[in-house]
Amino acid sequence: MIRREPRLYYRVFVWSGTLRLFHWTLAFSTFILILTGIYIHYPPITTKWAEFKPQYIMATLRYWHFCAGYFFLCALAVRFYLFFAGNQYERPMDFLPINRRNLRSLRHNIRFYLYLTDEHECRMGHTVLAGTIYFILFICGVVMGLTGLYLLYPEAPTIARLGHELFGTPQQARLIHYLLNWFFIFFIMVHLYIAIWNDFKAPDAIISGAFSGSKMMPADLECPVEELKKIPFEK
Amino acid sequence: MSSKDHINDFAGGGVSRRTFLKGCALAAAALGLSPDVVPKMVEAAMSPKRPPVVWLHFQECTGCSEALLRAARPDIATLILDLISLDYHETLMAAAGKQAEENLHDAITKNAGKFICVVEGGIPTKDGGIYCKIGGRTAVEILDEVASKAKTVIAIGTCGAFGGVQAAKPNPTGAVGVQDLVKGKPVINIPGCPPNPENFLATVVQILTYGRPPELDELSRPKFAYGRKIHDHCERRPHFDEGRFVERFGDPGHKKGYCLYKVGCKGPVTYSNCSVERFCNIGAWPVGAGHGCIGCTEPHFWDTMMPIYKHLPGIYIPVGGGIREQAEEIGKVAVGGAAAVIAAHAAVGIGKKLFSIKCTSKEKEEEK
Ligand code: HEM
Ligand code: SF4
Ligand code: SF4
Repeated sequence: MIRREPRLYYRVFVWSGTLRLFHWTLAFSTFILILTGIYIHYPPITTKWAEFKPQYIMATLRYWHFCAGYFFLCALAVRFYLFFAGNQYERPMDFLPINRRNLRSLRHNIRFYLYLTDEHECRMGHTVLAGTIYFILFICGVVMGLTGLYLLYPEAPTIARLGHELFGTPQQARLIHYLLNWFFIFFIMVHLYIAIWNDFKAPDAIISGAFSGSKMMPADLECPVEELKKIPFEK
Repeated sequence: MSSKDHINDFAGGGVSRRTFLKGCALAAAALGLSPDVVPKMVEAAMSPKRPPVVWLHFQECTGCSEALLRAARPDIATLILDLISLDYHETLMAAAGKQAEENLHDAITKNAGKFICVVEGGIPTKDGGIYCKIGGRTAVEILDEVASKAKTVIAIGTCGAFGGVQAAKPNPTGAVGVQDLVKGKPVINIPGCPPNPENFLATVVQILTYGRPPELDELSRPKFAYGRKIHDHCERRPHFDEGRFVERFGDPGHKKGYCLYKVGCKGPVTYSNCSVERFCNIGAWPVGAGHGCIGCTEPHFWDTMMPIYKHLPGIYIPVGGGIREQAEEIGKVAVGGAAAVIAAHAAVGIGKKLFSIKCTSKEKEEEK
């Protein structure tokens, strides 16, 4: 049987401006952090030019790393605020697998991504699988921020004490900081792929949603239209 | 006896007044104190009541004592004849056997609550501490007895401070540092493998002068010596900032004195004053000589700072018999894994699509 795509869509706004600001700040700062971080980890050979003209290349890239690090930390702070003060879809209760409805949804998401079902779950906020992974990413971001601050200000009394309690010596923190760097790279690759894949497979247009804050909700019987009607169309 | 006579005694003992004053001034400088305190230090150091020191050896190689013997500011003779009264030190004292045991007993009972206990070496705790016994008693027992009567405890060397090489994984003897066993008493750590003797001497002089230990960091290391990263005072730092690195030992960059970061220098995460204080009174130190810092003043450096020539440690992956992978490999696994998963996922999706198009076109044909 061919499943026909629903033709009628509601455009609903789910992602607040603050959340989108968070998303893009995090995205750009992480991008810069990864590039500069990899340079810091393994600086390629640039001695030929560094010998002739002062470049301060390591000093400059470290400086960018720290600047981007501050944007990254601010983005995390905003997301943390939205966990409590954000709209319904931005709060962890909505997207963590902590109740029966969300667990069922998680199972469905996994089946969907494994091609075991073609039925796309039309959901207003994050799907539960995505939400769970974003939450893990948030925790990793906090660990990145703490290890980064510990590496940056190892002599500041409060940070030194906290760092010692949590990670041990700066060397141990550096290893964690480095390993999680690869988690971020892994995440970005999968995240971009899944976003594009969803654009092919599902009608909610999540890529443009990352800019506009909207999601397309089919006015199809399989989708909870009653829920849709509760959302005022705001612009 | 006036202090003048004392100084004459010094001269008679082979140390000139000049050398002695210089030693005190250098100790003050090492501690970051103003020259005004030098007279006070001289006075404290010359007072007839030299503080008694009991020096214990446990799981160690005597390298720390060896380093101390080579100290020159002040030299060992000045230290043990004029600054402190070294009442017990297994490798330096003449007594042996029963007599040595008696000396230890006398020293700690006579000076109870007054002496400085210096501990060199890790202390094994596993299986009732049987892996290090002296005179039939375990290291734990000896430390317990001596430290409980001491005024201050100084753990010298990374073994005494953090367990050292015998505490490296899998730590077969359950070795620990002094601060894990001695509680309720100031324990000062002077780590290093071996530590710079000047840091030990400056700490002792500080205790002599002010009667209290110097300011300590989270790991109980004196801040005057362990308050800054090697990296922050390294003469190769401009090369680091410029991105000029030694690629391998003996290459042109190495000959030009580039930064040793890429050949595993642990200076960026190691706290010590090696780059300032230097060793052996000839201004030499490892990075100056062209070898990276191995991070010997940090806890568990045998586990966390290895391999010596990579700046991050390998990590243990428990698959098969367990393999130790270099940290770089993780990157390959992460990126390669993600790429493989994505490729497989996309391939299945496209395959399915093609297959379903075929099926539907067949269906349509059948419908006709
Ligand atoms: C997703 C976020 C981040 C990524 C992917 C990242 C990546 C990296 C990488 C790969 C390194 C090199 C590690 C090494 O081999 O030694 C590094 C070093 C460092 N990072 Fe980050 N980082 C992130 C966030 C932060 C933050 C938030 C801060 C703090 C403001 C920070 C501060 C530092 C510092 C201080 C270093 C050490 C630089 C040095 O040793 O010269 N990082 N980072
Ligand atoms: S040689 Fe080591 S301590 Fe010196 S600047 Fe390079 S990395 Fe830092
Ligand atoms: S330079 Fe590093 S390895 Fe060498 S003695 Fe100093 S702290 Fe230890």
